[in-house]
Amino acid sequence: MSAQRLVEQFESLEKQDHAARLAMWMFLGSETLLFGALFAVYAYYRGMYPDEFVQALHHNSVALGTTNTVVLITSSFTVALGVHFIRENKARLTAGLFVVSTLFGAVFLVVKGIEYAHHIHENALPSGMYTFIDKPPAGVVLGYTLYWFMTALHGLHVIAGMIMLAVVAVLCLKGRYGAHRNVAVENVGLYWHLVDVVWIFLWPLFYLTD
Amino acid sequence: MISAHVTTPKLVVSWLALLVLTFLSFGTSRLGLGEAELVIALAISVVKTLVVLFIFMHLVEQRFANRLIVILTFLFIVLLVTLTVADPLTRKTFPPRPDPAASPYP
Repeated sequence: MSAQRLVEQFESLEKQDHAARLAMWMFLGSETLLFGALFAVYAYYRGMYPDEFVQALHHNSVALGTTNTVVLITSSFTVALGVHFIRENKARLTAGLFVVSTLFGAVFLVVKGIEYAHHIHENALPSGMYTFIDKPPAGVVLGYTLYWFMTALHGLHVIAGMIMLAVVAVLCLKGRYGAHRNVAVENVGLYWHLVDVVWIFLWPLFYLTD
Repeated sequence: MISAHVTTPKLVVSWLALLVLTFLSFGTSRLGLGEAELVIALAISVVKTLVVLFIFMHLVEQRFANRLIVILTFLFIVLLVTLTVADPLTRKTFPPRPDPAASPYP
């Protein structure tokens, strides 16, 4: 394990790590507000068109959505275990757990992709492209557009998280992180947990609506 | 600084708790309780988020500064969502929604 470098603006490594961790929490806060604005849009239009929203989202497969919830929660668990083991200097174990988490992320995307393919096949598409039912009411189109937009934005976050998990797994194997140098591992873990938390809210709003 | 510590058994218990809450949420949604379902589902989601935040994200063993960011984020979202929803839910004098005949796609 290479020694961690103390940059000149910090008094100690402990303060440097704290600054990195605090900055990550601030970044996650801003990410949450990005999704928060979309949740506000969802609440606004669901308040305006309650029945149409339920009608539009009834089309989604509860089984596939619930599968994805279990997959993401389990991946969050393996990431948390990985962060736990790097503190005990077990870098190989952490790398393995992060690879497993990346694969869970891939399973999530495959299931989501199956759903998307199904929607595209049935013309359950966003905005004016929605022709799943003839002359759809405005609320149905809005509900389904929000479904596409919010799940796709979440999907992009899953892809970003998978890339970061894979990179940190490789660096763990190269011996870059250990018991005293792991704030990057921790921060990537925090990002992945945020992706999980966002899905924890998307799932009841878009799948459990009937 | 560190008062509590996240251990492997705690992580396993949290994971099992999250799975149980997921199936609880799923089960409740099948009961057909109408509008109450959404409230229950969101309440369960908040509990799940707290488990993820405090155990998986180690918030339980971190400084208050990090918790403060979570509290502020939560307050901002509550403000954003409640003020936005207050509009469609309290419309009395204006039509509750745009006339669908005027424009099918708003």
